[in-house]
Amino acid sequence: MTDVHVIGIGMTKFGRHPEHDAAELGGAALREAIEDAGIDARRIEAAYCGHVFQGMVTGQRILAHEGLAGLPLTNVENACSSGATAVREAALSIRAGEHDVVVAIGTEHLTSRFAGALTPDPSDPEAAVGATMPGVYAMRARRYMAEFGMSREQLALIPVKNKRNAARNPLAHFRKEISVADVLESRPIADPLNLMDCSPVTDGAAAVVLVSDRALRRHGADRAVRLAASALRSGSVDVEPTSMTFEPLTHNTANDAYEKAGIGPGDVDMAEVHDCFSIAEVLRVEGLGLFEQGAYPAAVERGDADIGGRLPINPSGGLLGKGHPLGGTGVAQVVEVVRQLRGEAGDRQIEGARVGLAHCRGGKAVGIEGAACTVQLLVR
Amino acid sequence: MTATERSVVGVSFRPGEFEVDSDGDGHLLGSRCRTCGAHFFPVRHACAGCLGTDLETRRLSRRGTLYTYTVIHQSTPDFEVPYMLGYVDLPERVRVMGQMIGHESELPLGTPMELDVVPVGTDDNGVVLLGYRFVPASGTGADEEETGND
Repeated sequence: MTDVHVIGIGMTKFGRHPEHDAAELGGAALREAIEDAGIDARRIEAAYCGHVFQGMVTGQRILAHEGLAGLPLTNVENACSSGATAVREAALSIRAGEHDVVVAIGTEHLTSRFAGALTPDPSDPEAAVGATMPGVYAMRARRYMAEFGMSREQLALIPVKNKRNAARNPLAHFRKEISVADVLESRPIADPLNLMDCSPVTDGAAAVVLVSDRALRRHGADRAVRLAASALRSGSVDVEPTSMTFEPLTHNTANDAYEKAGIGPGDVDMAEVHDCFSIAEVLRVEGLGLFEQGAYPAAVERGDADIGGRLPINPSGGLLGKGHPLGGTGVAQVVEVVRQLRGEAGDRQIEGARVGLAHCRGGKAVGIEGAACTVQLLVR
Repeated sequence: MTATERSVVGVSFRPGEFEVDSDGDGHLLGSRCRTCGAHFFPVRHACAGCLGTDLETRRLSRRGTLYTYTVIHQSTPDFEVPYMLGYVDLPERVRVMGQMIGHESELPLGTPMELDVVPVGTDDNGVVLLGYRFVPASGTGADEEETGND
């Protein structure tokens, strides 16, 4: 079976784009990825497009603008993992031998679709009693603080770190550093989480060009990064109440990826993880096995997760700093990992990074811990 | 039985998940797997534990313990903020989310809670819709035995 390689990356500026729609943003990211790959667009054989709220056939609207209409195209919805799932589907189509050159696009024009707190689908029993996504994570934060003694100030250090990284990322939504006091004094959203503990409503898109071994030989491997594993799981139904301070879904998906790639958590040099809320980063990295359970808040305090630290987490700024255009997020994480492994990350470059991890998860339904989770491992 | 809205007459806001007795007591409806004994909320068609499909619909306990909670300050237009939202673990080993009263005073995790019936709006014909919330439990907790926890 062929390996899969990323040979082109593209990403729009993340932020508010009142003058563009999701298809235009997706098209801009796709054009950049094709140019970055240096391939003739006629060699693209298939496309996958991840988005959540952009309506029917968003991917087709993108391809129509870019002169690529007619390709096999699949639109993918998997909540906040939509873009990451599109990458995985694209990779599977290559591994299956069906295609040699495939693009994955993730896009979202969230500011035109949505404001305030994201909620589960209105049909869900938990939505019916007032569940919001920040509310669910706030409940997890309260529990984590009670079980592991994390202080509110320690939790605030996560948005402080990620916005410090975002300030070094020209494509990030937020470019301004913040302090612990800024986080603690920001507007309450769901106690104990405040506004700056929450990822923003962001527009943006990202795209990647993936190829098989055969296409890579023809193309040249100079800047290629191997997608060593792309794992996906959906959340299972709890048979009994389980701890909300540990994520079996993240843990199991990561183990699938580690096993497929023959890579362990100790081999990972940097990670982009789904920090939709400050507490989420804690739960992600501990679920991924990158830090011991209960140990991450102190590790952040020591600077272990900083660029230049033992294991940098979210050097792009993460969802908290870079922004969170739902469908765009998972692809943008892969874009950042590729940039880092190529050594093209500029002011936020992690020296010598060879193995990178991208983790996405999203969605909520009653009785399950999380809806969709992806873990991708990239190796240079 | 200290519930404040006990005299309210109406219909369940989600009949498949919650029902209200003529005496005003509210009950969450769940599934019990006849093969392995696992319970679920809401009603399921198959057991996630053993994949058995012999499930019965049962009323779940009205009492449980507070696992965690938050106070919501930003929500959808359907809900007036602030409100307290939490998870309660029932004796059948089912965790249920609900709003709670007492958003101004902190409740210790592990506090015994009980289900309360509360009007949540009206339907298109003006009939009062009844929903549920959890309140700190009063009394002995004897009604846990009513539902046959196993």
